[in-house]
Amino acid sequence: MSRRLTPYLLIAPLLAFIAVFTYLPILSSVNLSFREWDFLTDGKPWVGMENYRLVLSSSEFWNAVRVTGIFALISVPLRLALALAIASYLVREALPQRLLRGALFLPSVTSTVAIAVVFSWLFATDYGVINAALATFGIPKVYWLQNPQLALWVIVLVNTWKQLGYDIVLYIAGLQAISKDLYDAAEIDGGGRFHVFRRVTVPLVMPTTYFLLVISVIEAFQVFTVVDVMTRGGPAGATDMIVNMLYRVGFTLFDIGQGSAIAVLLFVLLIALAIFKARVLGRRVHYEA
Amino acid sequence: MKPETLWTGAALVAGLLFLSPVLYTIWMSVLTVDSYYAGDPVLTLDNYRTAFGQYDFLRYLLNSLLVSGVVTLGGLALAVMAAFAFARFDFPGGDFLFAAVVATLMIPGHITLIPNYLTLARVGLLDTYAGLILPAISNGFAAFFLRQYIRGIPRALDEAAYMDGATPLQVLWRVIVPLARPAILSMGLYIFITEWNNYIWPLVAISDSDLYTLQIGLAKLYRENPGEDVINWPLVMAASTITILPILIGFLAVERHLVRGITMGAVK
Repeated sequence: MSRRLTPYLLIAPLLAFIAVFTYLPILSSVNLSFREWDFLTDGKPWVGMENYRLVLSSSEFWNAVRVTGIFALISVPLRLALALAIASYLVREALPQRLLRGALFLPSVTSTVAIAVVFSWLFATDYGVINAALATFGIPKVYWLQNPQLALWVIVLVNTWKQLGYDIVLYIAGLQAISKDLYDAAEIDGGGRFHVFRRVTVPLVMPTTYFLLVISVIEAFQVFTVVDVMTRGGPAGATDMIVNMLYRVGFTLFDIGQGSAIAVLLFVLLIALAIFKARVLGRRVHYEA
Repeated sequence: MKPETLWTGAALVAGLLFLSPVLYTIWMSVLTVDSYYAGDPVLTLDNYRTAFGQYDFLRYLLNSLLVSGVVTLGGLALAVMAAFAFARFDFPGGDFLFAAVVATLMIPGHITLIPNYLTLARVGLLDTYAGLILPAISNGFAAFFLRQYIRGIPRALDEAAYMDGATPLQVLWRVIVPLARPAILSMGLYIFITEWNNYIWPLVAISDSDLYTLQIGLAKLYRENPGEDVINWPLVMAASTITILPILIGFLAVERHLVRGITMGAVK
């Protein structure tokens, strides 16, 4: 193998897979989003912006955008705040900290389906552990997953429980990179614990916070599994995320055109978020850190 | 009692409390249905017998192992080769191609769902193992991560091997792969776990129950719970345990590698 060709041959297999299963599908999605098709018929007539018009004028889509937005807005800050607080305790290399780290990290590598099933049982109206516990205090049955006011909160809780450990691990790594001198200096200056946390820890882990913010917002906008298993978007659309709608339109209603339009809109939304974060937040992080 | 012992005890309790949903799942999976609903525990392994026998979870388990195993090996092979090329060769278009690989990290997987389904349908790979495996094999993150790691390996080692007449593939296999083993191992675990827990793609690509992975088998069992008025929770929990346990055991064995993989990728 000639030395000049070698690098191309080495990357060719990876690039071939990426081209076929990532880049071409993006183009294909855009193309399909302008067509009307139900998987079965032969023709795929071009309908221009019709699919976008239908999606953008449906209350279902805006509900999904709203629900996904609320989910991201609640669950991301909650996760990051909890994770940083816990990580700053777990950063020490002693036995209790190591034990807790393992326990908190475990859910983030475990099956989301299994977790969703288990929490469905915890929050089940009849024979569920939580209602059983509440009953001992004389509190009547709560319809956790059937009540539109509550279901999204349960989804947020399950997601937080699952992802928290991942955030904690990254925060611990970020905290370990902070020089100990800075803490000593801050303590000599007579800062209390909270003061040191606010003035030293929070600004110095900004790069980690920024990284986590980026990936967890992207993740939040693609949440699917927990919802699909626990509520299927219900009750009355209260937990219907964008991807759940995409799945429903594409694979249960077989509307390829509208399904593709939703996928393209999600793509554009995430790109816009990424640009916004790079422009606005990216600058602030460098400024503060 | 020494304060340290006290703290260790408290941490243990907190950890167990946090993991109580998982622990409760395992506990429930060994109760008879009647005793669960009666609130008077009677232990049994019948739920596992039912899950493995009547409900084919042995098959789902093997499917998951096969699919995750092949995706891991294939994904690592592609990523290691590309990472080596990007780390060690200076070639026209290299930066552009690397950017094309890294850009896949920013692309939401769900945009590829419908077109990938159509592609596989066109070539007759729906409801096949290949259909489950192929779209998951390329892993831009693994390539990016391994490239960073390989760049940290002294170049003099490659040069020495080239002086001895080694070919690039020999250098990759004999020098780079052994030295990058910790990173490759971490990445392999990460890929395996991600694929093991993959849900939406098998949900779309597979309708033949012989090809269900554990995730799909469990979701179907929970949702459809055939022929029962009340959900058979102990059976569902046995199925959940079968889905969680392999990862749980693996996790305990390799937590350190896993944590390193995640943090190295993020911090750099």
